[in-house]
Amino acid sequence: MHISFLLHNGYAIGGTVRTTYNLARCLAEHHDVEVVSVFRTRDRPVFDPGPGVRLRHLVDARGVRSPDSLGAEHTRPATVFPEADGKYPMYSELTDRLIGDHLGSTEADVVIGTRPGLNVHLARQTRRGPARLGQEHLTLATHSRSLKRVLRTVYPRLDALTTVTEADAADYRRLLRLPGVRVEAVPNSVPAPAVVPADGTSKWVVAAGRLAPAKRYDLLVRAFAKVVAERPDWRLRIYGGGRERPGLRTLIDELGLYNHVFLMGPIHPIEPEWAKGSIAAVTSSLESFGMTIVEAMRCGLPVVATDCPHGPAEIVRPGVDGRLVPTGDEDAVAGALLGLINDDELRRRMGRAALADSARFDPSLIGARYESILHDLVGKGSRGLHRTRASLLSGAYAVKDALANGQAALQGGHTA
Amino acid sequence: MSGSTIRTVTTGAASVADALADLPSGAEEEHRHGAGEALPPQSAQRGPATDCTADSAGGLTFDLRLAGTDAGAGGEDAGLLLRRRPDASGETEEVRLPLTPVQDAEPGTLRAALPSTVRLTEGRWNVFLVLAGREPRRLSPGVNDLRSLVDRVPHENRGWLGVRIPYATKHGNLSVRAWMRWPHAEAGALRMRDGALELDGRLYGGEVSATARLEAWPRRGPAEPVVADAAGAGGDRREFAAVLPFAALAGGRLWDLWLRPADGAEAVRVARILDDVPDKKRIFTYPAQPVARDAGQPAAAGPAATESAAVTAKPYYTLNNDLAVRIDRAE
Repeated sequence: MHISFLLHNGYAIGGTVRTTYNLARCLAEHHDVEVVSVFRTRDRPVFDPGPGVRLRHLVDARGVRSPDSLGAEHTRPATVFPEADGKYPMYSELTDRLIGDHLGSTEADVVIGTRPGLNVHLARQTRRGPARLGQEHLTLATHSRSLKRVLRTVYPRLDALTTVTEADAADYRRLLRLPGVRVEAVPNSVPAPAVVPADGTSKWVVAAGRLAPAKRYDLLVRAFAKVVAERPDWRLRIYGGGRERPGLRTLIDELGLYNHVFLMGPIHPIEPEWAKGSIAAVTSSLESFGMTIVEAMRCGLPVVATDCPHGPAEIVRPGVDGRLVPTGDEDAVAGALLGLINDDELRRRMGRAALADSARFDPSLIGARYESILHDLVGKGSRGLHRTRASLLSGAYAVKDALANGQAALQGGHTA
Repeated sequence: MSGSTIRTVTTGAASVADALADLPSGAEEEHRHGAGEALPPQSAQRGPATDCTADSAGGLTFDLRLAGTDAGAGGEDAGLLLRRRPDASGETEEVRLPLTPVQDAEPGTLRAALPSTVRLTEGRWNVFLVLAGREPRRLSPGVNDLRSLVDRVPHENRGWLGVRIPYATKHGNLSVRAWMRWPHAEAGALRMRDGALELDGRLYGGEVSATARLEAWPRRGPAEPVVADAAGAGGDRREFAAVLPFAALAGGRLWDLWLRPADGAEAVRVARILDDVPDKKRIFTYPAQPVARDAGQPAAAGPAATESAAVTAKPYYTLNNDLAVRIDRAE
């Protein structure tokens, strides 16, 4: 199979980039895999796409300070890329055309979009033939009403949509009702770390992620004040950067925790830092997946996590490889941490379980799930018909668009 | 005069550094370079990613894999070169470590060991890959496994304390931060309470006597320290503890903290180096405390300075991870 990913910027640092490369690298073992990056901002990608994966770009944005240096076309707003996608300001008539040229002439058997705006491109501009798979790396619930409206009209022209949790897949099926579109949850993959797993003897709790409001590190710091009151020999490291840093610093100082809680700053790679801890803590109010939970578990740490939408409950097995506590409940977080801190045997047993349980997120297994979906899509011959029906079912926006594609769609059938 | 010292660590063993911990000191050859000799220039192309593993004794192992056009060059002469960045006097220094193949690993996998017994002068050491017939190249950082350095309790049977922490520079190169101290006064918890800094810590390579004191020396200006008792609680000869009132420091700006373990003994710089954090300054931070305007302040502060300005004090770690206190006056 020839598989082509469409990515916003494969040269940037980010969860979607890393996840895409994990998957691409794995699929490249048996297939012809390319990653098409709409933008290129660096000479070399920060994350390694992997051997056998071809990375190319459509717009070279290296050193570009103002849009007009890429030509007048780039100063005019996009009409294909939806305004409701947060990256809209970066897209233009130029990207509409370049992405359209790419999708209209691709030799791939399957094209895979990696964010809503790019999935819209996939749905509207892919030539007849390739299977169209859209990936949702965030969640339907966190999208704006206007973006949901766009997705409802355009996504019926996808062949499949993958989400990272079952809960989000259920939302898509229930709320968007995408006729004929295969909606399936496939979690993100996390490779086995390059370090020996933690042995559970250190007296450190570790957390990692962007210092953003939704991560609720303020809750974790307050909970940790209660931990320190009982176990002053335990300390907390929080890795990551972000705009919450000054506020967290103030909170740590106000609570007198400056000998116990440390803001470590951003670090790459994170695996050796997990391995220095004995417990991982995730106290978010939202986690579309919960990549850090899996990362920590793969390093042998039991995880104390809030049961927030959507990821944690689909990763942590409460009482076996970690604990789930109610979202926003600092006493519950403190209690769960102390439960693991005060019971060395329990902590080590859960750490071993975390190591075993997290193996299900290995790229080889996640890659195999994708491979099976892709084989089904490519082997299925009724896509032209499905898309014609999908076009008729969708709203006025889609009807208008369907007229442009109508001739091709009505020819029916397809060859892969 | 500037110059450089080259040392070659002549061990062929491709084992973890700990296995070399008892290496006789004669295995180090030392000779000096003339001032005019060129140092290896930095090639534009960076060498491969290098994984570093620290052991609790202070040794480091470096693991890397040669690929592409380098793959055939990992012969007898392959080595790592550690070069200390020139200090204020322009002095620099080099240490060469042999790179040897790792058994049962992928072809091209090489390892070098920096045994804990090899002395690295305090400073920042850049790490280069040296292959026969090629210019030395800086290495890029890989995975640094430093878990054995977290909460490190050093051995004390050697007569000196070496600390080496590998880290990624802001330009994405591999360097090693080194300290060499003896005796060493390690700062523990700091508490800001009642207008004073409460500090405790542990002395390595010496004893804390009943006459021990903490001395705060102004970084500039008249060299008179502010002094506080520092004898450990319960007569422990290893621990020190002191309460330093900020009001006594209000007349200065930056104060460096030293421990004098006994009357007449040499003062020891108070620092925090026994962990895995190469730069403490941004991570170990403390809240600013208002400084009480008490009548007992040194005259140096001057009446005008204290009348109108809010004065705050806060402890911080310097770029060398030494402990200091800074005094700030609001405009």
